[in-house]
Amino acid sequence: MSDLTPDKPPAPADTAPRRRDTTGLLRTVLKRLGTALLVLLCTATVSFFLVRLSGDPVKILLPPDATARQESVLRASLGLDRPLVTQYLDYLWGLPRLDFGNSLVHGRPVGEILAERLPATVELAAAALLLTLLVAVPAGVFAAMRRGRGSDHTVMTGVLLGQSTPPFWVGILLILVFAVWTHALPASGYGTWANLVLPAVTLAVYSVAVVARLLRSSLIDVLSSDHIRSARAKGFGPLKVVLRHGLRNASLPVVTVVGLEVGNLLGGAILTERVFSWPGVGQLTVEAVSNRDFPLVQATVLFFAATFVVVNLLVDLSYSFLDPRVRTSR
Amino acid sequence: MDHSRPARRDVLRTGGLLLGGLSAPVLLGGCGTTAAAGGKGNVLRVSQPGDPKTLDPQKQGDMVSMNVLINLFDTLTTRGRDNELHPGLALAWKPTGRRTWRFTLRPRVTFHNGEACDARAVAFSIKRLLDPATKSPIVELRYVEDVTVVDRLTVDIHTTVHDPILPAKLSLFGGVVVPPRHLSEVGDAGFAERPVGTGPFTFVRWQRDHELVLRSHDGHWRGRPSIDGLVFSPAPNASSSLAALQSGGVDLVAGLTPDAAQQLEGYSGVTLDGYTGIRTSYVSLNTLERGPLRDRRVRRALNHAVDVPLLIKAVAGGMATETPALVPRGAFGFDPTVKPFTRSVRTARALLADAGYPHGFTTTLTASNVDSNVAEALSGLLAEAGVRARVNLLDPGTYAARLTSDNPGALGPMYLAASTVWTLDGQSIVQSNVRSDRRQSRWHSEEADRLIDVEELSEDPGERKRAFSDLQRLMREEAPFVFLYQMDNIFARNDRPRWKPGAAGVLAMHSAEISR
Repeated sequence: MSDLTPDKPPAPADTAPRRRDTTGLLRTVLKRLGTALLVLLCTATVSFFLVRLSGDPVKILLPPDATARQESVLRASLGLDRPLVTQYLDYLWGLPRLDFGNSLVHGRPVGEILAERLPATVELAAAALLLTLLVAVPAGVFAAMRRGRGSDHTVMTGVLLGQSTPPFWVGILLILVFAVWTHALPASGYGTWANLVLPAVTLAVYSVAVVARLLRSSLIDVLSSDHIRSARAKGFGPLKVVLRHGLRNASLPVVTVVGLEVGNLLGGAILTERVFSWPGVGQLTVEAVSNRDFPLVQATVLFFAATFVVVNLLVDLSYSFLDPRVRTSR
Repeated sequence: MDHSRPARRDVLRTGGLLLGGLSAPVLLGGCGTTAAAGGKGNVLRVSQPGDPKTLDPQKQGDMVSMNVLINLFDTLTTRGRDNELHPGLALAWKPTGRRTWRFTLRPRVTFHNGEACDARAVAFSIKRLLDPATKSPIVELRYVEDVTVVDRLTVDIHTTVHDPILPAKLSLFGGVVVPPRHLSEVGDAGFAERPVGTGPFTFVRWQRDHELVLRSHDGHWRGRPSIDGLVFSPAPNASSSLAALQSGGVDLVAGLTPDAAQQLEGYSGVTLDGYTGIRTSYVSLNTLERGPLRDRRVRRALNHAVDVPLLIKAVAGGMATETPALVPRGAFGFDPTVKPFTRSVRTARALLADAGYPHGFTTTLTASNVDSNVAEALSGLLAEAGVRARVNLLDPGTYAARLTSDNPGALGPMYLAASTVWTLDGQSIVQSNVRSDRRQSRWHSEEADRLIDVEELSEDPGERKRAFSDLQRLMREEAPFVFLYQMDNIFARNDRPRWKPGAAGVLAMHSAEISR
């Protein structure tokens, strides 16, 4: 993928630097993986103990007229009467085998429940991401090329509005217009492309704003650099200059933000999922917290943490491919 | 459907409704419903606030799961629309000793897979329910210790103490019968995925958080239901319910709170039905600790101060009925001759002055945050009589933990509570709230304890009824609670379904009909 880079570094004189380069990259990857595992371990530990501070799930599972004996029998059969340390060690022991325990409410393996909800969340995040890129990149490029003009201001005002409006409000407005007034799209639900449109747009509005603004400023920076001037001097048209020489160099900060947005889209869609009754991990998390479903809360928290860790790792690694200076400086 | 531009009032109302949906209680997962939920035809499409937690009838206790499972499974006894106990899978029952009930089963009943529903299945079901490994949240059978098979169609249920209302308890999910052979073949997990019961509908498919489809069962002992199928889908807030009803995606919306119902009122094509239910709300007063509430005059003053009809109108949209002394109408033991307190701020102030509080007093009213509007309204009504009750709202989990705590003062001097009288017997509401040795009791009265012992232990229904009457008069006199109301079960529908619920409000759809 290194041929994607606009300014190729000088070809290596022999294979030694290349080997050093690869070893350095490998070491970095291993180090990052180690840190990632440590982050996940800390998350698992904190979520395990924190969720237990919230109270006794048996009090929610049983009706108020249950006897104290019925409560203690259920507590024992759920394993909640064991010493905290034993429960913690059991939990840690299960993690490498992806055994998160059984949901206290659903009585089924938590991994299974999470796996059922994951496709809906991934589908929504993917649709929102696609929408973000389809809108944000042209908007950012357009605004950068028209810097300072009326059309730049118009695009950026619209984008700023998107960033400043809370997603649940956007969702409600979309429901009002497209579901209640015009009956063009369903207000909620899951299963068809029509169900996907409104939540994906809601979720994308904020991301579009973030990405478009960053791309614009990054591109404006790049467009004033020497190699762009050279490209212009060669007689390339403005669009070609921007797309071929500007966009690649401006993409580095954008990739970082898009990566973080992927994390946000996967883990931060709780409100959007709630507004549109979207059966994803976000709704599951809210439900699990309300029910004090300890294993399910722990697993969803770990899932969100893992999502951010993996996305960050991939973003870091992608730098090496996008920018040879990053690779050679390791 | 009217596609023209809506009036400004409608727009504002819908906006408010959508916002309200956002802040609705968050226990409810799942997705809304769409027109895709099954063809119309002779199929009834129902939406409720969530998706079932599980389809194993012995491992659930929430209304949403029960609404589905009551159509797949039968219970030993059953409640009719008249609220009386009727034969279900059991044709007859009688006590054969102080601690044994004998049930004679209906012959020739089979599960949907052809397996016989006999005494062995009943014994297996009750033992499975009581087995700690089942982790059942169903607590009604707390006195049952064993079940013995007498012959193919007779079982004896043995209890640790005399339990006069065991047959009523077996009309709930404690009395559900599950297929032993099928369970041994497919295991608990398989059974919960594809449940097999004896009920009027058979399981077709369940796409979690989307739709659950049932088909009518030709061989049901009560005959085939008049509808061909039932489709359940989740709609977690008022906005999605409204959208589903108006777009024709569902025919009936269940599980509406008065708040949500008020928001749906007045839309074209939407009819709201309220039926007197069995969920009873009251304010429990802690008479055990030092303070004004130890004085009967103060407690009576609070009852005079709280204008229940006004409260019902203001916070329940009129969809509730006043209860004079805790026991709801429709339940065994309800005494219609006990009249509610008259509403009079002047009487309340006079009683307070008489008790030594001429300027009222300051106190705290604790409530679960889902009841915040009722608690605020109560606080306002009490303030008129000079009782300054600061509202303390707790999340439902903390509230539940404190309610059943061993510390009777955990919820403060006054708390707003509600109990569902599932057994339709007054015992269900007094057993945990009144008798002095019970965890939620905040009032100790030897006379009340004696009357509860009579109603809990007597085999004579007449004697039980008299004990309940005396108990209600005593509670009306001593006022250990501020008596409020019993909530209606509220449904929204289009013009297709013809169906009425029983007092419990469960969606038993055998008798439902729809116009095509």
